[in-house]
Amino acid sequence: MTQVMKGIRVLEVAQMTFVPAAGAILADWGADVIKIEHPVRGDTQRGFINMGGVKVNPKRSPFVEHPNRGKRSVGVDISKPEGMEVIYELAKTADVFLTNYLPKQRQKMKFDIEHIRAVNPNIIYARGSAYGDKGPERDFGGFDGTAFWNRSGIATAMTPREMVGTLSQGIPAFGDSIGGMNIAGGISAALFHRERTGEALELDVSLLSTAWWAAGTSIDMGIDCGEVSRNRMPTSGGNPGNPFMGNYTTSDGGIINLCTLTPGPHIRNVFQHLGLPEAADDPRFSTAEALMKNWEPASELINAQFARKPFDYWREHLKTMSGQWAPVLDLMQIAEDEQALANDMLFEVEASDGGEPIKLVRGPIQFNHEPVKTTRAPEASEHTEIVLMEMGMDWDRIESLKKVGAIA
Amino acid sequence: MKPGTKLKSAVCDTEVMVILGADVAIECGGAPMALERPATGGEPDPSFAAGSLMGKRYVDEAGTVELLCVKPGKGSLSIGGVALRTKDAKALPSSD
Repeated sequence: MTQVMKGIRVLEVAQMTFVPAAGAILADWGADVIKIEHPVRGDTQRGFINMGGVKVNPKRSPFVEHPNRGKRSVGVDISKPEGMEVIYELAKTADVFLTNYLPKQRQKMKFDIEHIRAVNPNIIYARGSAYGDKGPERDFGGFDGTAFWNRSGIATAMTPREMVGTLSQGIPAFGDSIGGMNIAGGISAALFHRERTGEALELDVSLLSTAWWAAGTSIDMGIDCGEVSRNRMPTSGGNPGNPFMGNYTTSDGGIINLCTLTPGPHIRNVFQHLGLPEAADDPRFSTAEALMKNWEPASELINAQFARKPFDYWREHLKTMSGQWAPVLDLMQIAEDEQALANDMLFEVEASDGGEPIKLVRGPIQFNHEPVKTTRAPEASEHTEIVLMEMGMDWDRIESLKKVGAIA
Repeated sequence: MKPGTKLKSAVCDTEVMVILGADVAIECGGAPMALERPATGGEPDPSFAAGSLMGKRYVDEAGTVELLCVKPGKGSLSIGGVALRTKDAKALPSSD
């Protein structure tokens, strides 16, 4: 893929998925992303033995690869002054400083914006947080499970009223991955601004702001209308007011989602595809107004039709239907989805355990129709000496920093 | 050998950077490593053919030698016939 960030260096002092995922996107785009990791433990992310309840092999962990591919890892103990001196030296060479450490930690270890700007006034300072860098909870940490999913109101909106409790996020690092892309977008705009004006900005993305934006239409609606939409219990049949909207169960238990929001222009075509050509001439269903009013009997007819044939039949047969629809797939099926693969949604990196290559999902943006070409996530501290020597540090200094445990 | 120098395998593509340790003879694929790869190579000894992996750090049990693999190969690393092991991050166990 066109290396739009070639020549840009990002210094990443961050852990977990949300903020490192921003570094991964920028690395996919060609930036030189230097990831700072604890000299002994590495990124906390490396310790995950379960992911959403599923056991993972820590040597081939998607939790490490997804947010860290294409980076170089330098082991620095940022709690030691000698280690922080190395951070300052690296910051002098960087265009972007990227962090998710809490304000009190940034102050205590002295890598808050004023400390980093003191050594490099032109650096873009990008923060990812749980709840934002202003307000009474700026020093309160969080994960996407807390800030993005539960605190935001999304969990409540996703959960039908009939259910006890709330649905959980279901997909590990779901909010993190969306939020990381938001940070990468912000950094790109900040780099553009610096290019045009010479001014280096600071920027913030929180997991909560990520959720607020994603749920923005509902939040705005709630403020204005006094109520918000909420998931209904799953059923087979049309949505109230529109039988061309809704999930329908096939004879073998598969599900087809109809999503024809404006049914009028599609009435004849949809009924024909569903094997109900006569329904298009039925006065109860022949105009948009009539169909929407009589959604219940239409839904019953459609439901009965879907129940007559299996999922694969419908998936093939509906390809020529003019109304909008989708097969309901799972995340295993999508990995083999022809359309996803045609758009280069997966790419391979070598595995650091020497085994089969690891398949990874690309970021959502593609330049010039070109697939992503990058390298695997680094081993913890893999590039310490290489990066420091490249920066001009001599071996004696490297050794003395190692002796005091400031680097590894 | 001294820290900062690069050593090449005599029997495969492996290259390492010496991170820690001095004046120790390092072997790869059972054959001594050197600053330059000899013209006539040969094959790794089957008992030292588990391979070296890019980016891995290899250490001896005593912790006196550390090598960083900068180019992988078929031979595996040893000192005096004793295989080196990889140095891995001691991650904190976490569960999502």
